[in-house]
Amino acid sequence: MMFAAAILPVLLLAACRPSEGELTMYGEELTLEETTSVSAILADPEAYLGQQVQVEGTVVDVCEMRGCWLAVAGEKDGELIRVKVEDGVIVFPMSARGLMARVEGVVEKLEFTMDQAVERARHEAEEHGTEFDPSTVTGPETVYQLRGLGAVISDHS
Amino acid sequence: MSKRRWRKWNRVVHRDLGYLCVGLTVVYAISGIAVNHVRDWNPNYKVTEVHRTITPVTAADPRAPEVVRHILDELGAGSSFRDTYRPDASTLEIFLEDGTVTVELATGEAVLQTVRDRRGLKEANYLHLNNARGLWTYMADIYAAALLLLAVTGLFMLKGKLGITGRGAWLTAIGVAIPLLFLWLYM
Repeated sequence: MMFAAAILPVLLLAACRPSEGELTMYGEELTLEETTSVSAILADPEAYLGQQVQVEGTVVDVCEMRGCWLAVAGEKDGELIRVKVEDGVIVFPMSARGLMARVEGVVEKLEFTMDQAVERARHEAEEHGTEFDPSTVTGPETVYQLRGLGAVISDHS
Repeated sequence: MSKRRWRKWNRVVHRDLGYLCVGLTVVYAISGIAVNHVRDWNPNYKVTEVHRTITPVTAADPRAPEVVRHILDELGAGSSFRDTYRPDASTLEIFLEDGTVTVELATGEAVLQTVRDRRGLKEANYLHLNNARGLWTYMADIYAAALLLLAVTGLFMLKGKLGITGRGAWLTAIGVAIPLLFLWLYM
């Protein structure tokens, strides 16, 4: 009897768990009705700086350690835009790779000195479990990314 | 409240909170060790890589489904895939249900990366790092308060030379000194 009383709240909580549909939401609800192409942002990022945009595309990479960023592919080969979210606030699963995502965020510009760029590359190599080669960093870097607010990832590609 | 009665309630609170906190303490302790070493390993996923060499891919469109299926067939990685991506002109990435294949088209060098959840640990980390948010935030706050109460009531569990006025005082002092020592060392 005592055991049943203890286990009942757990079962009730499990029953109340929202069912997983075809779309999984992360963070804030998407508010924009129109999407902006990743290619357009990458072609002229300064024009979008500080603007909230919604992009759509295949998730081609996810932060392996903390799920704190993902990369959405552009329309052309080689294009992608990284979406960085606040650590722990939104956590993207590695299983999102290859799935279609709609993401909203604010376009931001990051400027790295040579030393910062080296440190950033070292950190990325660590995250991917690959060997770090300092010679791949040749100078200061400017990176454009989205400060992610919310995302919807489809269960299908 | 008489001294004897106060002692009795102290024991009851310490005992029952102890029972209630066992499950949560196991979750937080195991996850704590796991995420403490996040620089050395991935606490959520087991990522394995297999390196293989396949026939170089010369097709005009390496992203064509028949070409991708041929690559997967050569690697013995099934036939279904989610999508593909070309990070650069010489590389093709194929996204599978449980991993990614990266192929250097000209050389046929391929890496089949498989990602599996660390069952149990991933869920423990999810709770420990408060990725759930919502109601869990308050549950975690209650647990923290319960731990505080456990610590305080623990001080007064025993009387006499083994209690807080004897041996207990020394052990408590050591416990307080440990974080202070590390702060002095590192800050």
